Amino acid sequence: MNPHHHSSYLNPNSLKSRFTKNFLRSLIKINKQTPFPCRPTEMFQRCHKVKTAADKSLACAVGSRRVWSRAMLCKIRNRALRRGPQKPPSVRRIIINNRTMKKGFNCLKEKMNDDQEAGIDQTSKLRKLVPGGEAMDLCNLLDEAAHYIKCLNTQVQVMRSIADFYST
Amino acid sequence: MEMGDKDKFELEKRSDNHINYHSPDSMPSDWRYSSANVANSSLGLVSTDNQMPVCRGDLVGVSSCSSASMVDSFSPGQWDHPTNSQNLGFCDISVQNNASTSNPMGIRKGGPASLRTGLDKTLDIGWNPPSSMLKGGIFLPTAPGVLPQSLSQFPEDSAFIERAARFSYFNGGNFSDMVNPFGIPESMDLYSKGGGMMQGPQEVFPGSGLKSLSVVQGQKNVMNMGDSSRDTSLSVEHVAIEGSPLKNEKKNGSLVRSHDEAKQGVGGSGNESEEAEFSGGGRQDKPSKLEGNGGELSAKSPASKKRKRNGQDADLDQAKGTQQSVEAAKDNPEVQQKGDENPTSTPIKATGKQCKLGSQASDPPKEEYIHVRARRGQATNSHSLAERVRREKISERMKFLQDLVPGCSKVTGKAVMLDEIINYVQSLQRQVEFLSMKLATVNPRLDFNTEGLLAKDILHSRAVSSSTLAFSAEVPMVYPPFNASQPGFIQASFPGMESHSDMLRRAINSQLTPMTGGFKETTQLPNAWDDELHNVVQMGYVTCAPQDSQDINGSLPPGHMKAEL
Repeated sequence: MNPHHHSSYLNPNSLKSRFTKNFLRSLIKINKQTPFPCRPTEMFQRCHKVKTAADKSLACAVGSRRVWSRAMLCKIRNRALRRGPQKPPSVRRIIINNRTMKKGFNCLKEKMNDDQEAGIDQTSKLRKLVPGGEAMDLCNLLDEAAHYIKCLNTQVQVMRSIADFYST
Repeated sequence: MEMGDKDKFELEKRSDNHINYHSPDSMPSDWRYSSANVANSSLGLVSTDNQMPVCRGDLVGVSSCSSASMVDSFSPGQWDHPTNSQNLGFCDISVQNNASTSNPMGIRKGGPASLRTGLDKTLDIGWNPPSSMLKGGIFLPTAPGVLPQSLSQFPEDSAFIERAARFSYFNGGNFSDMVNPFGIPESMDLYSKGGGMMQGPQEVFPGSGLKSLSVVQGQKNVMNMGDSSRDTSLSVEHVAIEGSPLKNEKKNGSLVRSHDEAKQGVGGSGNESEEAEFSGGGRQDKPSKLEGNGGELSAKSPASKKRKRNGQDADLDQAKGTQQSVEAAKDNPEVQQKGDENPTSTPIKATGKQCKLGSQASDPPKEEYIHVRARRGQATNSHSLAERVRREKISERMKFLQDLVPGCSKVTGKAVMLDEIINYVQSLQRQVEFLSMKLATVNPRLDFNTEGLLAKDILHSRAVSSSTLAFSAEVPMVYPPFNASQPGFIQASFPGMESHSDMLRRAINSQLTPMTGGFKETTQLPNAWDDELHNVVQMGYVTCAPQDSQDINGSLPPGHMKAEL
């Protein structure tokens, strides 16, 4: 990129920069916490940690504005709770379920229409792919999917450049 | 005088307040403010561009006072004069709005108020007599020559129209663009009613940047709204259209015609697109005048023209859709009533309808009631209308997604499109997994660099320093178990990048077996690690050689290298 691009890309508040900051911080933290894995299992664990860190930093960068970011954060926290201290996982899960159920009743009818309109398989697949997509009607689901795709693109871009940077 | 007019406006507004009118008190004030500005501009402060932005809402708010006079002056002949038309447009809009004033327009926020105030001012300047007419609600042109001067003074109609048009875009699809410059985001609410109709212009705007389009639509809307409520909604839409940035060429009858055609479709994006094209063609009249104002005025002129037509249905009915629009307009009260009765379902859906373009702009202000107009020849059942709104919302989102997902421009149909979207999301997620795995293997180096440096580099996404083939240094890091034999092996396999993966795979596998001592699960290791190492090694090589990396990276998305985690 030419220098001109450099200056024009520096937006400290953009999603990209926020995500990069968060992600780098968590990567460094992971590096410090665990020694470089020698065994494959350790490598797997580390891999998973990095992926979780990436997802979490992306969701944090997006904030609570979006349903999918909130759902993703809840999922990560639930997982942490489950694996960490032996807190009753049911508590948190119930919270999420309630939220889903409340919306579910309202959306049930719309979901049925959505399925008819767009194909049951596809809508359900999309719901599974987009975090938090289970409790949304098609219209919002598409909205969230669009924003999610945009953020995923950013995430892939940043991660790729980090990986490239560190591989050279 | 201004105050008097304002008061009138307020009274009118309040009297007509419907449930849609949320904050009558707040609105008048806003209206007053904005309308005052508008009035000033319209009255002849043509040169004052600054006023225009503020006056966006004025268009809507322009109560009958000024509109009446304006309407009168907006005889068809006047449209021929660019300046006049501009002014007229403005007046028309305001007049229409005021005439019908009933708040059925659903002008929620200060839009109408602003318009009114603006109109008040404008009226003050030249139209004292008409005010009386307005009061009576007689907006039909009584004396064509009443306001020739004032009309000519009308501020840049383009700017005005633009504002008006913008107002109609309450869904804020592209409204945000329109509204923000003017600083009257609330005005969007006002036009919720007309929102359906205005959606088209919004779409058109980004595409064609045609301000006139919106104006045209606004005008049409204005015209078609025979009823007061309709007029208000129309005016709202009209204003919105005007508000949108239009280049403002001449907005003459052509615009009006296009308006009429557009009018027919309630919130039909198709209509709007028609109008857009139509108006685009028709706007060439006042380039000089409108340019200055950023097209605001031009927006106004078409709007005004539309209003005029409303007043003079017979004369204006040049466009094909006039009659239809009128009929459609007739359905509106029905729809609106139904909308009122079904506040939960219809308004919400209608809101979505208006937000058709919302995906591209800021979220529209929360509106509870959206009046959807039934299209000609379509059922006016509230359920079917809501259904239609919903469907249009969904199709709008699908279009947006089509732009996001690469290679989907030619895909038609929801099912295929959804398939593509699903595949794309899956591939992106797999890429993230793979990259995280890659990062996990090359992590150690992060400690050495400062975060800021990294962030800077990464944000700028520099090209990978391809030339460094000093990969051997990396190898030990990536493959700690293979320190001994790797460097030589890897460098040997550099030349043939494409076949690297296979060669490396075999090499690694072969190496794995002798090195089982280092792994507890020797037998399972090769199988488990095969793909990962394969991918990682490939990626490692890829990063060394930029050309190759690009190739391989390019091939990644298709998903052939997704690590089997």
